[in-house]
Amino acid sequence: MLPTSSGHGLSSQQHPPAPLPEPATAAARHQAEPSPSQVEDGSLAYDIFRHTPIPTLVLDSSLVICQVSDSYVAVSGACSREEIVGCHADDIFDQRVTFPTRDSARKAIQTARESKKPYVFEDLLADGTIAWSIRTIPISRHGNLRYFVMEVELEKQVSTNEIFRILVETVKDYAIFMLDPHGNIATWNKGAEVFKGYKREEILGKNFSNFYSQEDRDNDKPGRELAIALRDGRVEDEGWRYRKDGSKFWANVVITPVYRGDTLIGFSKVTRDLTERRAAESRLIAAYEEASKLKSEFLANMSHEIRTPMHGVLAALTLLLDTNLDTEQLELARVIEESGAVLLQVINDILDYSKLASGCFSISDDILSVSDIIQSVFRSFQKGSEPEPILERHLDPSLPKAAGGDSLRYRQIVQNLMSNAIKFTEKGYVRVNATLQEENEETYTILTEVVDTGIGVPATTSKSLFTPFTQFDNSATKRYKGTGLGLSISRSLAELMGGSIGFRPNPEGKGSVFWFTAKLKKVNQLKHLDAIQDNFKALAAEAPMSLFEEMKLVAINKRILLAEDNPINQKVCVKMLAGLGFDNIDLAADGSEAVQMSTKDSPPYDVILMDINMPVLDGVAATKEIRHAGVQTPIVAMTANALKGQAELYISRGMNDYISKPVDRKLLVTALLKCLKRDTPA
Amino acid sequence: MAVPGASDSIDEATFDQILEMDEDQKEREFSKSIVYDFFTQAESTFGKMNANLEQKDFKMLSELGHFLKGSSATLGLTKVKDSCEKIQHFGNRKDEAGNKTISDDEALSKLRTTIEQAKQEFYDVEKVLKRFYHDEP
Repeated sequence: MLPTSSGHGLSSQQHPPAPLPEPATAAARHQAEPSPSQVEDGSLAYDIFRHTPIPTLVLDSSLVICQVSDSYVAVSGACSREEIVGCHADDIFDQRVTFPTRDSARKAIQTARESKKPYVFEDLLADGTIAWSIRTIPISRHGNLRYFVMEVELEKQVSTNEIFRILVETVKDYAIFMLDPHGNIATWNKGAEVFKGYKREEILGKNFSNFYSQEDRDNDKPGRELAIALRDGRVEDEGWRYRKDGSKFWANVVITPVYRGDTLIGFSKVTRDLTERRAAESRLIAAYEEASKLKSEFLANMSHEIRTPMHGVLAALTLLLDTNLDTEQLELARVIEESGAVLLQVINDILDYSKLASGCFSISDDILSVSDIIQSVFRSFQKGSEPEPILERHLDPSLPKAAGGDSLRYRQIVQNLMSNAIKFTEKGYVRVNATLQEENEETYTILTEVVDTGIGVPATTSKSLFTPFTQFDNSATKRYKGTGLGLSISRSLAELMGGSIGFRPNPEGKGSVFWFTAKLKKVNQLKHLDAIQDNFKALAAEAPMSLFEEMKLVAINKRILLAEDNPINQKVCVKMLAGLGFDNIDLAADGSEAVQMSTKDSPPYDVILMDINMPVLDGVAATKEIRHAGVQTPIVAMTANALKGQAELYISRGMNDYISKPVDRKLLVTALLKCLKRDTPA
Repeated sequence: MAVPGASDSIDEATFDQILEMDEDQKEREFSKSIVYDFFTQAESTFGKMNANLEQKDFKMLSELGHFLKGSSATLGLTKVKDSCEKIQHFGNRKDEAGNKTISDDEALSKLRTTIEQAKQEFYDVEKVLKRFYHDEP
């Protein structure tokens, strides 16, 4: 700033009082102080102060305005120079000009006077519309303070704000707007308009919850988000938001509380449209799932390819074992047999698992009896089992006698859990509990538990028990065989049956409890019985129900023994019987086995299918022994010696019926129905 | 469903009954496993027949004939089944219908030719079946 060359003795108050002097009247000032005309037009000072582009005021030491620039007049809101020049500062600040404010002017002048140095202060109008900074320069001559020059730098801050405002308002890729402390919308930008479809004037003052779904509003999600933002200083959310036209978009939202000083003035809300990204993500996920499905299908196909020759190997081995082998050969053959059986189990597990994983596994809908399945699994484990663990079972008497479900898969789970329990239990017991957990109009929920006193499961591994290919015993010296797929298959099967599966430690201390639930459909038993009865009555006349449907109903809970030496015929026959609804089929490989199995205390079978030509003891001799033991179970002879008149022969030897081989399904059904009908209390 | 190329070697009704047991009519897992089990069984039985032919064990040959007759009948492999029935009879030193008694020498020579015939019939039907299960061109 140039030093002023004004030589006029302006001040009558060389020693200013601490507070600003009381403003004198304009008239009094005119007499005591120089008039503005004393600054001559054309002088250097005049030119500088009048025409500087920086809005400038020159005050004398008594704070009377003695010069003012045109630029100041233009921005300060004053009407003209003449209105200001010659007036006391107190008369114009806050009244005729908008800035500086009177309080800050006083402070600035006082500070500059005391420090004798230029002093800069920044200020802002109360309504926030204009901000500026003012430099107050004290000018002294010979130690006497003569003038104050005030230079105004206007709207420095405001112009920055303006840039931000324009920036925010024109951004189209983000919706950026302010909410007041109650969540009502206070500002609106272009991006918000594009995203949400509302015009500024439509939405201002409305609550931001308008963008949320009805469900979110019902849960007060918007309110909770504001509360979290206040607590944490920020909240971020991804979810569906709704446009004015009701369509939705996937949004990422960040809400930040905004304070001025310590006062909350509202929230800033920035919304991004992630619909595109989300679509890309779901495409990625779909691609991944497709790849995973292909992998499972490949596994399923491979396992199938491996299994077929494996069956060949095992079948050949079975035949080999029947030949005269010496001790060493027999031992080696047994090793092959055992390893082969394990390998087949592994292959079957992988096949099941990959079928489950590729989603091409379906649950059939037969009629089953939970107690019968458990009893039958039980029997298979009791055979040749060691004295320990003791096998126990507790069947809830309220279990349904017949319900709709997949008996094979139900059996598979029970079998898996039981074989695990027995595998890991050397002492104590393995107990199966089956209870009716829930019953509604359409379904039964059956809870089946397998409790053992075995080695138990450490807490660390209990979480991964049902994960495929994980085994609890992963040590190099594995004591227990298996694929690690059993439980994972069981889990999938239980889920397919509408249930779940789980583990907890045995509450009695040692061991584990594995449980699963399954939903079984209700069948109207009375209705079925009626149907059976009607059917029997109408058997001669064309039955409304097909023979096979009738067979399936009669087969419920029926136990059948098949005595047949040829493994191929066994397999075919078992499959045929299973297809007819029998889920309780036992096998005898020769006549003496058949006698042993069928002559226990209470006759264990409802019907026996007996091949005639068998090694050790043939069918006719076996029948004789069975009848001799007082067992009257119906016996149906099966033979390829299909000669006329033999039916009578076999019946005279104590058999009840006769069918020729190869077994025709229809004839088998007719024969079985004849035998079982007698036992059915009709 | 007729097996292509089977002509009179497979009884359609019987084999259909087996095919019906397949859960998946494309994969044919069950019937395939049965048929392949039978291949193994037949191979092994023919091997035993040869050994017993050397030893002239008529009783064993009759039993083996009966054994393979059972499973081939189940699958409806008519030709193999018929030959096995003959083997069963010849092993009992009866004629091919099982009526008249024949001499040991006659029985032995008939056994030899019939076993060879049965084998050939088995290999023929094996080919047909393998093609049916897409395992051979």
